[in-house]
Amino acid sequence: MITIEQLTFHYPETAQPTLHNLTLHIAAGSFTLIMGRSGEGKSTLARCIGGLVPHFSGGTISGHIRVAERDPIALGPSGMSRIVGYVFQEPEAQAVMDRVEDEIAFALEYTGLSRTEMRLRIEEVLDLLDLAALRDRPLDQLSGGERQRVAIASALALRPQILVLDEPTSQLDPQSAEDVLQALIRLNNDLGLTIILVEHRIERVLPFVDHIIYLDGDNTLSGAPAHLLPHLPHVPPLIAVARTLGWSPLPVTIKQALRFARATNVQPNQTIAPQISSPTILELQHVHAAYLKQAVLEDINLTIRAGEFVALLGRNGAGKSSLLKLFTGLLRPVQGRVLIDGRDIASRDTAALCRDIGYLPQDPNALLFAESVMGELDQSLRNQQLTDRSYIPQLLMELGLSQYAQTYPRDLSVGERQRVALAAVLVSQPRVILLDEPTRGLDYGAKQRLAELLRTWHRRGMTVLLVTHDVEFVAGLVDRVILLGHGAIVADGPTATVLGTSPLFAPQIARLFPTSGWLTAEQALQHIAP
Amino acid sequence: MIHPFAWLTWLIAVTIALSATRNPLYLILIGQALAIVNAVSTAQSRQPLTFWKPNTLVVMLVVTSALFNALLVRYGNTVLVRLPAWLPLLGGPITLEALVYGALNGLALAYIFIAFSIVQRMLPISTLIGIIPRAFYPLAIVTAIAITFVPTTLRQAQHIREAQAIRGHQLRRLRDWLPILMPLLIGGLERAFQLAESLASRGFASQPTQSTQQHRSTQLTISVALTGLLSGWMLRLIWAYDTLGSILMFSSAILLFGKLWMLGKHAPHTRYRQFTWNNADTAVVLCASVTIAVLLLPWPAIERATLGYYPYPLVSQPSFDLGIGFAIVGLIWPAVTQYIKS
Repeated sequence: MITIEQLTFHYPETAQPTLHNLTLHIAAGSFTLIMGRSGEGKSTLARCIGGLVPHFSGGTISGHIRVAERDPIALGPSGMSRIVGYVFQEPEAQAVMDRVEDEIAFALEYTGLSRTEMRLRIEEVLDLLDLAALRDRPLDQLSGGERQRVAIASALALRPQILVLDEPTSQLDPQSAEDVLQALIRLNNDLGLTIILVEHRIERVLPFVDHIIYLDGDNTLSGAPAHLLPHLPHVPPLIAVARTLGWSPLPVTIKQALRFARATNVQPNQTIAPQISSPTILELQHVHAAYLKQAVLEDINLTIRAGEFVALLGRNGAGKSSLLKLFTGLLRPVQGRVLIDGRDIASRDTAALCRDIGYLPQDPNALLFAESVMGELDQSLRNQQLTDRSYIPQLLMELGLSQYAQTYPRDLSVGERQRVALAAVLVSQPRVILLDEPTRGLDYGAKQRLAELLRTWHRRGMTVLLVTHDVEFVAGLVDRVILLGHGAIVADGPTATVLGTSPLFAPQIARLFPTSGWLTAEQALQHIAP
Repeated sequence: MIHPFAWLTWLIAVTIALSATRNPLYLILIGQALAIVNAVSTAQSRQPLTFWKPNTLVVMLVVTSALFNALLVRYGNTVLVRLPAWLPLLGGPITLEALVYGALNGLALAYIFIAFSIVQRMLPISTLIGIIPRAFYPLAIVTAIAITFVPTTLRQAQHIREAQAIRGHQLRRLRDWLPILMPLLIGGLERAFQLAESLASRGFASQPTQSTQQHRSTQLTISVALTGLLSGWMLRLIWAYDTLGSILMFSSAILLFGKLWMLGKHAPHTRYRQFTWNNADTAVVLCASVTIAVLLLPWPAIERATLGYYPYPLVSQPSFDLGIGFAIVGLIWPAVTQYIKS
């Protein structure tokens, strides 16, 4: 279906090629996962297949690429649109119309199809992606998962032979991501559609793929999961445990691994969650909050003590980000009190609160505007009328940004940009840091570095409250987990207790060893002898 | 659902009514008609009308316009307060008349915005594109994208403002807007780029292009038509050849639209949504047409002079014509139709 021979591609004004001498074959009807570190060219490869690179990006390309006997470099994305359907990371950024059915019909209208044919195709994709009930709904009333399924339906309406998806689940909660993945599996199994998926969070994808491409500079690996997984550097916890314990054949699903796990002598974790007796730093008392009169939080009571490391989990729209905003004064409660250090913040404005509270938004780009990394840090200090710059060298070093002090922040990678934003927030040395989806778009390595940083700051006494969908990231990191559902707290307690018993948010190891109290591969391997 | 053409006719009638009068009594009547149509359409669409509530919007625009007019216009006999003369631009008398005239302009502006919002809410973007001639399809798509881009940009601006606020940023001077505008501009460009990629990957503008000869012929025809339009306008404006100028402008316009129509016919474009015309749509169009006819044409029994209301030099009581009042009441017909259908 897809043959790539000695493909090399340079983006304009870059010395190093993003793709170097790449030779690959992707079979028709396969479900292919493209993985690798940030900057290794995963999205670039996907874009080459759809003809977007170099048509949109510019740059120099050499070698050959054939997709269903066509040349995407010569035809460009428009010419390839009947062959390759492309779904981007952000569903919001690819919609043209305002309602589900119209958005799907959009591509069909200018191909000159008859109305009868259009109706047939639209009914077909609505059924395939389980969207029939939503056909008349405005797009802005859909959840993230539903919007992403509409984006897939819009791409499929042209009946392409290949569907390319670039991190389609990166912004979705586990359930919405599962819905999107199930839709892809149906398309692959029932229609034989060739699916190419670029993804960082591979733990939820691995069970379904039959081909992996691992991009790593000149050492690209390509093959079946069973052949590749034993050799990959970053793998999900389940595979890490299975590899270390020598389980063979290597399981990729919990179901496959349970056969081995049941034969393992599990000694439940006896570690007791640390009792924190420090004073309360953040508190919500009977808080109700709303956006445009729409209730988002109802009767929330919450206490967070100084030095705690807490994660806030929940489905999209559960009210997690709203809860964070209450502590920054960006959202004021309709009813109830928000207290910091025991003082009601009703009379304090956001500018005053930010001396105590640092807040990293979901999109770090929202913060960055200065000419250099140093300029961003200086701006934060100026905003708060601080003159002491002595912490800056240490902060840049800890964040691995010392060499980028004079670099334009938007020229950096996603992970580096996020660290610049973190530096801009932390330069005033707040006592509490709030992070909204900090692992979005980060590869395993970047996530590990972020986890290390957060651990270091927490050890120094900083209170950390983070909102995330990434349960594997949270599992080995935080002391306490709060689960939100429909604007209310549905569970609150030590990480092992809350995650270990949650059907939706349990990490892989908790599912594999349900009574053990283990959450991470490291915890499991500590207790099981190979 | 009311046919898009019927909605469009209603919108034209409302716009004409709001442009034709500053009489507060007629403006209040138009406002009531809009409120009724809005109430019925809100129940049907279950979406809020605008980012602000209609009443908030009206108050905001009326107050802003009244203050602006009162501070800059010096006419009127009823002096409410006198600002010191040394205040540049603002110094001088503030009159009740200027305040009233500004408020009436603000009211008309708010009602126009509300009327457009009602139609925009009741009609999906695809139907708006559907009523634009095929030749202008790319232009219609650009309009659709612009419409969907606005709420996304507003949300993005809100995220950036919040992110900068919690970093301690405060908006005091003009240059303080830079940390908001820069990320907004760059983010907007990035989103536009991704949308362009998305459109291309869905085959937009992938139709076979014209041959070089056809392309040259198109360019030539459009150039001739535009030159004709400009020449006709200059003949009328500069040399006062009204008839010759009008003929030239008219024939150039026909040439331009004819060419665009031909181009549209060659574009392989079909429409998914189709609407059927029924008696209720005819009633909406008839009522709107009556409103337009009464407001624009001279009728023996209608006092058209009551449409104009000028509070200067002294605020006076506005007069009212029953015929014009009835014509304005006809603007509630979309609400009646929707109510009967529901």
